[in-house]
Amino acid sequence: MRSGLALLAPALIPSWRFFDTIAASPRIEFARLPSADAPVAMWQEFRPRPRCLTLGTILGRLFWNPVWNETLFMTSCAERLLDTPTPHSVEEIATRIAATLDPALPGPFFRFRLILVSRDGEALRREVAYVSPLRRIPAA
Amino acid sequence: MSFETAQRLTEILLALALLQQSLEHLGGGRSAVRLFAPRIVLCLLMLFGVQSGWAVAGLALLGLPILVRFQGPYNGGSDRMGLLILFCLCLTHFAPGQTGREAAFGYLAVQLVLSYLISGWVKIVNPDWRSGRALRDVFRFSAYPVSENLRALAGCPRVVLAMSWAVMLFEIAFPASLLNPATLGIGLTVAALFHLANAVLFGLNRFFWTWLAAYPSILWFQDRFVVPMLG
Repeated sequence: MRSGLALLAPALIPSWRFFDTIAASPRIEFARLPSADAPVAMWQEFRPRPRCLTLGTILGRLFWNPVWNETLFMTSCAERLLDTPTPHSVEEIATRIAATLDPALPGPFFRFRLILVSRDGEALRREVAYVSPLRRIPAA
Repeated sequence: MSFETAQRLTEILLALALLQQSLEHLGGGRSAVRLFAPRIVLCLLMLFGVQSGWAVAGLALLGLPILVRFQGPYNGGSDRMGLLILFCLCLTHFAPGQTGREAAFGYLAVQLVLSYLISGWVKIVNPDWRSGRALRDVFRFSAYPVSENLRALAGCPRVVLAMSWAVMLFEIAFPASLLNPATLGIGLTVAALFHLANAVLFGLNRFFWTWLAAYPSILWFQDRFVVPMLG
């Protein structure tokens, strides 16, 4: 765990290098599993973005945007996890995925994985960069 | 704009920005409530000018456990800018002497200018940004576009090239807007529209409100230092 002062320094002496390079981008996927040793049958994208948004939704999100901001935080955690793995990043992602899963539905376990999307020439390349350990979905 | 007016306006705008962020966190369980409920109270004190110096100090200190909780900023640059404003505001209340207080507020104004200038510089020296490729990549595969149909913009290279150059030229040219009050008014309007576009396209609503909160510092800075220097 990094201390508050170490984390504060970049805020007080900022680098302001927004979007200087466009690096490979992580996507979070998850899979529910019926048992601890069951293989993953299908991965699902976590919070896929909608096809389009109405003007009302866009304007509303200027004032209230918790889900999208949480998704951006999870993307930061995914980047941190691939850069410097820590239990904190794994926990933050897993807890938030688990919170969206209904424990009453079949499949008491889940895993998540990170897919890195990048450009290779004119094509897009997707590679599995991380697969989490098995987690149990907490009871409601 | 006087120092006191700019300081107060900054407090009001930042209180509103932090209130909005803090309310979003209240659904995040007991640990989030423990951190963000006190922040809401302090924001309300700062908003209404009740012991605002101590409220600012409390908010700045509370920023540390929040950073530790998320092991960094929750939403990158916007949270960092919020903390920078808080710590500068704190010094505008508690630094010894008017010179120290003005230096702290001036530091915020300079950082605001640098936030555009450096962002523009790192882009314009990158061939991928100059060709429009970088912004096409943002639309094509980054995590930022808020809807799938925005990804289609990656297939409009001329539009994206124009957008890239508009962003780079605006960011690089922003310091020149300090030359006189009219150009600064235009510069800040364009800057606010730029953040609004980022909020609409990439969902970066926190940047919009947080950067607005830093604008009074530059209005004061221009009045206090730039206008007298240029005569």
